[in-house]
Amino acid sequence: MGWLRRCYLTVASEFSWRVPGRPQRLLGAFALAERGSMLDMFAAVEATKRRDMRKKYFHHGLDEGRHALIFAERVRAFGLLGRAEAAMEDSGQLLEAGIVGGQTLFERLGEPEFMAFVYVAEADAVEQFNVYLDRGLPDDATQAQLRAILKDEVFHVTYSRTEVDKYRKDGLPMDATMRKIRLRRVWERWLRFSRDFGSFTSGIWLSLLYFLVLGPFRLFGRLEAGGWHPVEGRAGDALALARSEG
Amino acid sequence: MSESQPSKMETMLMRFGTAGALLAMLGRGGRWWMVPLVVVLLIVAVGLLFLQSIHYVAPFIYMVF
Amino acid sequence: MPTYILGISALYHDSAAVLLCDGVIVAGVQEERFSRLKHDATLPVRSAKWCMDRVGITAADLSWVVFYEKPLRKFERILSTSVATFPRSWAAFPRHMRAWLGDKLWLRGNLCQAFGVPASKVLFCEHHLSHAASAFFASPHENAAILCVDGVGEWATTSLWRGRGTQIEPVSEVRFPHSIGLFYSAITAHLGFSVNEGEFKVMGMAAYGQPRFEAEMNKLLRLESGGGFSLDMDYFSWHWHPTQAASPKLSELLGAGRFPGTAFTPRLAAEGASESEIEVSQRFADLAASAQAQTEAAMLHLVRHAHTTVGTDALCYAGGVALNSVANNRIAAEGPFDHVWIQPAAGDAGGALGAALWAWHAVLGNPRGPAMTRTDIGRETPNATTREILDDLGARYADVGEEAPERAADDLAAGRVIGWMNGRCEWGPRALGYRSILADPRKPETRDAVNVRVKYREPFRPFAPSVVAESAATYFDIPAAAAAPSRFMLTAGGVKDGARESLGAVTHVDGTARVQVVDAASSPAYHRLISRFGEHTGVPVVLNTSFNLKGEPVVSSPVDAMASFVRSGLDLLYIDNFRVERPK
Repeated sequence: MGWLRRCYLTVASEFSWRVPGRPQRLLGAFALAERGSMLDMFAAVEATKRRDMRKKYFHHGLDEGRHALIFAERVRAFGLLGRAEAAMEDSGQLLEAGIVGGQTLFERLGEPEFMAFVYVAEADAVEQFNVYLDRGLPDDATQAQLRAILKDEVFHVTYSRTEVDKYRKDGLPMDATMRKIRLRRVWERWLRFSRDFGSFTSGIWLSLLYFLVLGPFRLFGRLEAGGWHPVEGRAGDALALARSEG
Repeated sequence: MSESQPSKMETMLMRFGTAGALLAMLGRGGRWWMVPLVVVLLIVAVGLLFLQSIHYVAPFIYMVF
Repeated sequence: MPTYILGISALYHDSAAVLLCDGVIVAGVQEERFSRLKHDATLPVRSAKWCMDRVGITAADLSWVVFYEKPLRKFERILSTSVATFPRSWAAFPRHMRAWLGDKLWLRGNLCQAFGVPASKVLFCEHHLSHAASAFFASPHENAAILCVDGVGEWATTSLWRGRGTQIEPVSEVRFPHSIGLFYSAITAHLGFSVNEGEFKVMGMAAYGQPRFEAEMNKLLRLESGGGFSLDMDYFSWHWHPTQAASPKLSELLGAGRFPGTAFTPRLAAEGASESEIEVSQRFADLAASAQAQTEAAMLHLVRHAHTTVGTDALCYAGGVALNSVANNRIAAEGPFDHVWIQPAAGDAGGALGAALWAWHAVLGNPRGPAMTRTDIGRETPNATTREILDDLGARYADVGEEAPERAADDLAAGRVIGWMNGRCEWGPRALGYRSILADPRKPETRDAVNVRVKYREPFRPFAPSVVAESAATYFDIPAAAAAPSRFMLTAGGVKDGARESLGAVTHVDGTARVQVVDAASSPAYHRLISRFGEHTGVPVVLNTSFNLKGEPVVSSPVDAMASFVRSGLDLLYIDNFRVERPK
């Protein structure tokens, strides 16, 4: 499967770096992803029962935070200041990262699987960045930054692999876990696509509905006038009224 | 079981309650004209909720249409 | 078994959970402090869990879960506004409907799932009633006019209530799309700042300008003879546009907007800028000043109307606009009320508290308790846990025990900029001495040092001072009616003429400061710290800004504090009993 991914990365890298407007989007996505994993790592520092791992998670988190800033700075260099600022300031865009249903990645996976996840994700990132560098993309300044980031990523890959190996020695089925994680990453990508696709199509249906059904009601609709409107309290049982959603 | 989280069935019934409360509220506020519109939207909501529940195959479903 | 009520605000701006035990606030926290996502608006699952864990209960022990809005009314408003603005609302409609029909409309079930309670325990309080309750029931007043002013809730954007004992009666409201909060947000966006984040920057910018666009502002926001106001909606687009608050007509009236991130060099802070650059910046400063002046005028207008209509001597006030500390000062100084009480979490997060208090007093009819005087109702960490984390991270630290406030004051007097994390996290958006960055307030250079090393803020934004209550009158002009809100850093008044010299880092360009008055009873540790600093320097005032890095929420745990400390240029970090030095 490795060659398939490499083919995909090669084609995608051409698209991402050479089509105008795409580099900013990619770099912005990197910035958000790095910031998301910074939060995941800091959450792991707090949640872990393995005190010997705290320092590693902490420094890993610091690295990711630094990378996020580098990528945001690169977006600015590519000339899309507004969006870079938004990417760094608007955490609404980050809601996808790590935290699902009120649980952090660490809480959801547990320590061994979290470690395997870190290893898989970091190794993927290293591979992706190496494809860019091999192809000489996108420009010297960004490449220099990518190289600096790669150095950190290699450290992340190394320590997480060491931990995964330790768990394997302890008899945990780490290879199965990593296969599961890889599959899940593909599955999640599909879900994201599927959801975006669903939003897009439901948007078309709702737009049709808007023009066909909403239009005639325009005759009745009025915006409220300004100024004070007197309000009467509603009569009735206080608890029953409180239960009402409307 | 009334003291714990509601089941899927109960959640579904709750939605009927919400739909009813919505229509009743429009009547109370004198916005009768919105009732037909809201009824249409509630039907759309049923479709939307169904598609969400099977969103992982959504692209295929849309291809069928 | 006592009655436990969980108040929830979520799904719009800042989600939060508050837990009451027999009407007493036992815990309250914003979800962003856990998720580390600023203004996190998702259902506050972690906050609620933490609140319950803290008192050792589970969801089964909750008597009620109270949401801070009536979702169906909000849906009605969104739908009928879409109809009324047809066909301009074509882009907004699919977005709104996808979110509502697919999710938000079915809130009751979502709340039951998220918080693990049956539907029979879920209550809904109106958005503005939640604000009203958060101000009135937390205040010491038995009789008060209650005013709420924000962006929008269900229909109301401004509402007036009469509070008596355990009851809050509605009087009147101004309805969407006419909104002072959204007016201010539209100006914020026009001046190149992000909405819900940049409003305070507009306030800071305003001090550099003159309100010379009065005529234009009167066109946008008209004060009516009936005591209310209305907007000319041709200039705005929040009622039909999916993302933008201002219509193109606003730029025709006020001139082109400011591009985000452009240097701001008005006449009072020109620093080598060219004449044309100064002129451009000055126009933005004047716009900010004009919008701020119009907002203040509108607030005074509303407050006077509230006084004539309800006729009490106390005003309780909440809603996002109540965080405008400059306007608050004028309400207290020039308004007709003898007492003004403002909810410290005046924005949407405060709705969680209001909804819970409303259920306890107004729905269940329980008598009033003591007023809210403390804001430290958030998360804390035992010293043993902190020590363990510091050890594990290899931090260089010393246990200074109960002497932490004094040691911190010594460090401040020595010119150090410190991160100060003490006790439980404060409630509301302002850092009130529990999660603060502190510095010497005397020299203007300190401000730049804090900016460059930690906050990376725009230089035109002022830093706030904290002063011990005993010396407040020596340094600041605080109107008598503002005694309560000044405890929560909600008013910005004048720095006394003789004191400006000694408060260079915290006096804004217009000679004002957003002061926090600290008393020994409600903030003992912080009071000790400032007093000790006063003994050293003769000035019992410190510079106080929230302990967070740019774009991040205020720190809440020792790990957050350490992560911010290491990534910033802070000289020292105090976490409760521990004094942490920078890594070598």
